[in-house]
Amino acid sequence: MTEADAKRMVNEVFTESFEIEPARLVPEAHIFNDLGLDSLDIVDLVVALQKKFSVTIRNDERVRNIRTLGDIHNFIIALGQEGQLDKKA
Amino acid sequence: MELKRVVITGLGVVSPLGKGVKALTDGIAQNKSAVVAMPDWTVYKGLRSLVAAPAKVDGEKEIPRQFRRSMGNMSIFAVQAAQEALADAALSQEVVTGGRMGCIIGSTMGGSNSLSEAFDLITPNKDISLITSMKFFQCVSHTAALNVAQFLGIKGVTMATSAACASSIQALGASYDLIRLGRQDAMLCGGAEELHPTVTGSFDILFATSAGYNDKPDCTPRPFDKNRDGLVCGDGAGILVLESYEHAKARGAKIYAEVTGYSTLCSGLHISQSSKEALAVCIREALAAAQVEAKDIDYINAHATATLQGDTEEAQAIKDIFGDTTPVSSLKGYIGHTLGASGTIELAAVIEMMHQDTIYPTRNLETVDPACEGIYHVTKPVAKKINTVLKNSFALGGLNAAVVIRKI
Repeated sequence: MTEADAKRMVNEVFTESFEIEPARLVPEAHIFNDLGLDSLDIVDLVVALQKKFSVTIRNDERVRNIRTLGDIHNFIIALGQEGQLDKKA
Repeated sequence: MELKRVVITGLGVVSPLGKGVKALTDGIAQNKSAVVAMPDWTVYKGLRSLVAAPAKVDGEKEIPRQFRRSMGNMSIFAVQAAQEALADAALSQEVVTGGRMGCIIGSTMGGSNSLSEAFDLITPNKDISLITSMKFFQCVSHTAALNVAQFLGIKGVTMATSAACASSIQALGASYDLIRLGRQDAMLCGGAEELHPTVTGSFDILFATSAGYNDKPDCTPRPFDKNRDGLVCGDGAGILVLESYEHAKARGAKIYAEVTGYSTLCSGLHISQSSKEALAVCIREALAAAQVEAKDIDYINAHATATLQGDTEEAQAIKDIFGDTTPVSSLKGYIGHTLGASGTIELAAVIEMMHQDTIYPTRNLETVDPACEGIYHVTKPVAKKINTVLKNSFALGGLNAAVVIRKI
């Protein structure tokens, strides 16, 4: 999976699960302040990312440090580099 | 303590005949059937009944995602019906959110589609990691009540009745009591339901569903007919605004009718079979609470779902109390059995009938079953002044509910 693929698939989660227009999905967008998610949405964001990338991230400490969409892009890219992402994803 | 009078000032419906009270009453006036074949259900082994009366999910995107995320179909129906009822009642935002207005909305078993989806995700691998935080809110028994209250900002008494097909009349009755006692000034009340093959299946297992008309769905259900073969499940929501008479008068509200009597009780005899004795006690209690006699009732809107046993017991209970002079009809032939929503969806239609001075007939009633004879079956529209009405709702579990309303 390329970095571009990872970013595109993360953005798809935001459009599919949270109905956010693609134009708002810039890396610096804060997921609470700019994209309007709340604490319950974060639970569902984790579920949606797990489903999208066939990976378990629920207990990954790095999830707690996520603030922006770019943080999620980088987190998913890092998981890929660690070989944690399903090759089919 | 003097009990307050309670009136109905708003009506809202999403029914198998469409969105809004007008779609429901126009469909009934035009003798339309909302029952259709369900070919996708053939994948369920053992399911005999392949007909249903589905309401259409429409306009749900008008509910902001932050509220909609916790809603399954039944909550969407309930919110849309509540919006119509509140607009109809012209209640101010201050009343709705002021804490003196509550919300009681019942259903048979909560969000059946969401429950099914949750089990589909969990059971194959005993894995809960794919369950979203919203599933709980979509599944629970009070899903419609909580979603309507949160969406509208209601801060008063909020709860859900859970009495299967009597849920919405129990919701109305509980709301009536809260207002009578002065605990609340106004209530949104009613029922909501969503269709799923497992819901029809739970009745099908009991041989209570219609299975002989899968190729001609508009001919079923057939309340009181000798060729009836069971109920047809439907979905939707029926929400009414109740408020104290003083509250309604003080704000110059349009008043549809007064709720004058209510009763709910259990037969204590059998978990599934209706009992004419228990039905009769419930009806008599509602009449007594309304301080009216049988002769004062202008029309009886029957529960009559077209089950063999239920219709017979109800007809006999009505015969014992009213004889054959009070017009009786069931609306299930138009919209199927909307279960926990049926009582208030049908009551909304009845209120419109009261204001049109027209009684609509029992659709699909062609030949009265001899076991259901002895009462005045309405088989074609009847023009009549309708001032006082009895509405029945009965449910699995031996539960019965009856309400009397009158024009004022």
